[in-house]
Amino acid sequence: MSELLNTLMQDARVWQGHRHRQTTQSSESTGYQVLDNQLGGIGWPKGALSECLLNVHGIGELHLVLPLMQRLTQAGKTVFWLNPPQTPYAPALAREGVDLDHVVMIHADDANDFLWTLENCLRSPVTGLVLAWPGKLATRDVRRLQLAAEAGSNVCVLFREQRYAGQNSPAALRLELTPDEHQALSINVLKRRGSWPGQRCTLAMAHRADLTCQEPPRVIQGPWTSGRG
Amino acid sequence: MSGTTPGYSGAVDVWPRVAVMLWVYLHFPHLLLDHIRRDRVSPQAMVIVEGTGQRVVQACPDARDQGIQSGMRLKTAISLVPDLAIVRAEADREARILEDQARWLYRYVAHIALVPPNGLLAEISSLQKLYGGLPAVWQTIDQALNEHQLTAWVATGHSPLAARLLARAGKGEYTADKGHILRALEQLPLTDAEFDDKTCTHLQRLGLNTLGEVVALPAPELARRLSPETLAHIQKIQGSRPDPQTPWQPPHSFRQQADFIQEIEHSQGLLFPLQRMLSELEEDLCWRQQDTDTLFLVLQHRHEEDTRLRLRTAGPEHRSEAFLELIRLRLEQQPLRAPVISLVLSVRRFLSREAPVAQDLLGETQDLNEAWHTLISRLQARLGEQALTRLSPQADHRPERAWSAAAVHQGMKLSQANPAHLPRRPLWLLRGPQPLLEQPVAWFSGPERISGGWWDGQRVMRDYYIAQLESGQLAWVYRDVQDGWFVHGWFG
Repeated sequence: MSELLNTLMQDARVWQGHRHRQTTQSSESTGYQVLDNQLGGIGWPKGALSECLLNVHGIGELHLVLPLMQRLTQAGKTVFWLNPPQTPYAPALAREGVDLDHVVMIHADDANDFLWTLENCLRSPVTGLVLAWPGKLATRDVRRLQLAAEAGSNVCVLFREQRYAGQNSPAALRLELTPDEHQALSINVLKRRGSWPGQRCTLAMAHRADLTCQEPPRVIQGPWTSGRG
Repeated sequence: MSGTTPGYSGAVDVWPRVAVMLWVYLHFPHLLLDHIRRDRVSPQAMVIVEGTGQRVVQACPDARDQGIQSGMRLKTAISLVPDLAIVRAEADREARILEDQARWLYRYVAHIALVPPNGLLAEISSLQKLYGGLPAVWQTIDQALNEHQLTAWVATGHSPLAARLLARAGKGEYTADKGHILRALEQLPLTDAEFDDKTCTHLQRLGLNTLGEVVALPAPELARRLSPETLAHIQKIQGSRPDPQTPWQPPHSFRQQADFIQEIEHSQGLLFPLQRMLSELEEDLCWRQQDTDTLFLVLQHRHEEDTRLRLRTAGPEHRSEAFLELIRLRLEQQPLRAPVISLVLSVRRFLSREAPVAQDLLGETQDLNEAWHTLISRLQARLGEQALTRLSPQADHRPERAWSAAAVHQGMKLSQANPAHLPRRPLWLLRGPQPLLEQPVAWFSGPERISGGWWDGQRVMRDYYIAQLESGQLAWVYRDVQDGWFVHGWFG
């Protein structure tokens, strides 16, 4: 019995308010030192769900997972994209150094197929990373996915809308993503294993469009004034 | 070995010595019954009726226990057992089933001849060395018969015809002792010796009742008094006249069929026979040292057109569980149109098995490759082949044509453009350009003019800009030649 308790403590599965314990669970670095520091020096948890909560696309959410994607595809692990909301643009991915041989897009029509597919991907040893846009998910479904994730050892990132931030979720890591000044991405840690949540950090994401200058951008006097109001 | 038979003088001279060849004959007394019975979950009394449907030709043990005998009128049989399952005998179906038996036997024996409707002949003396003695050969054959749940009467003989006669009479046994075989042959009644009716009657009128008595007659007299054909028949039994057998060659494809007496209405019911067929496929593939990636499944219905299913695995595969899993998924997705009366599984495409890749220290490489195929096949079976795609860049200046998606297949290598030469593009491309409805808060780079497509009529002429919207999104917007503003991508 005590052995069981020890395991629970060491894996940081039981939250202990007075003590910050590093989890012994395996994880993948996010590729952003600032964020890794905020997450207790680890990064994306393996064998567990991570959630990114955001309202709009194009704020740097893909660049957040890009370093991991590069690393995994080059190591020969498969990255699955499940029901992406728009088309992931192949030339851009190739340019970023993602090996497209190991990237598979999956389109699942109904919610049952979606969950089934995600579960299968999570349980497979070939999967390195699953990016999924689930739309609506019942808490029961998230729990089911969490169990599947525990069976495998890969990173799973669910992209959900920000309004789910208030709901509780069995995911091991929950990040709230909002756009910040200078095209940066502001990250609010809503939940993480083994420690207090509430850390915030801002990642510079201006490089995603090759915008190197940090000063207020020069306004190009475009022709839009004549075209539209 | 000599054919000395005490108590039967002259036998030694009568049976000439020829090069020792040993044949084994498998007689399947109720092949059709065995074939149908092994795909049934619950046993039920069953009979085979002749073509016209008047008489019972074969009856299974259950039916025999309830008083049905072969030769009985069908009406009588039905009144004995009201829920009797009835199967009509069809010549071509029996020929096909016989060939199925030859196919598995071919794994053990090289020289096989088919003896329709229900016999197989195999030459085994040449296998002695391979198996390390004849008993091992016999054991192998017996074991295989058991595995296939077949009833067979087996006999060995020194000529094809001798083996056949003994097997059909049910007097056969596994022996290489020529004397023993000869004694058994001599005691064979004339009716079992397969003379034509006229000759048989003629010989019986002469007072001859066993084959031994006929054989003892002097050969020239036999030919003169009866007919040269009769002598030839006897010499073929003795093995002194050549009796060439056409060797059977296995076809280059795999085909298995299961026939059901009761129509199967739910796909669950198909899984039981499929399991057996797939394990035979696995054996066949192992034996060929080949893999396959395409299975054809034909479900025959009584009144409707056949359902044809084509199942593809993501890579070469031979494990029956993997195939079964895929078929199960496919059948779940696609309910049966009508009750099924028979099921045909065929494989025509064989791939040579790849030499196992040298495993790494932990022995993981091979497993991962296999796991990848399993996962992709599973997903494709449930979601459809088009649901899984791989992306690749294409050489075109128009953004919507600079990428393509292709279904995932084994060993497909994408043509990789040199990433360094690709221009800066957003990670999200919208499925179609969306009108820009608000004034961006900031403009960054641009314009980048993209003009092309005059060669295929899909002409574009656009100036692209990178702009930030009110919501914080970094957008790839363009103005086209008609002065309209559109969002074409997000810098995700």
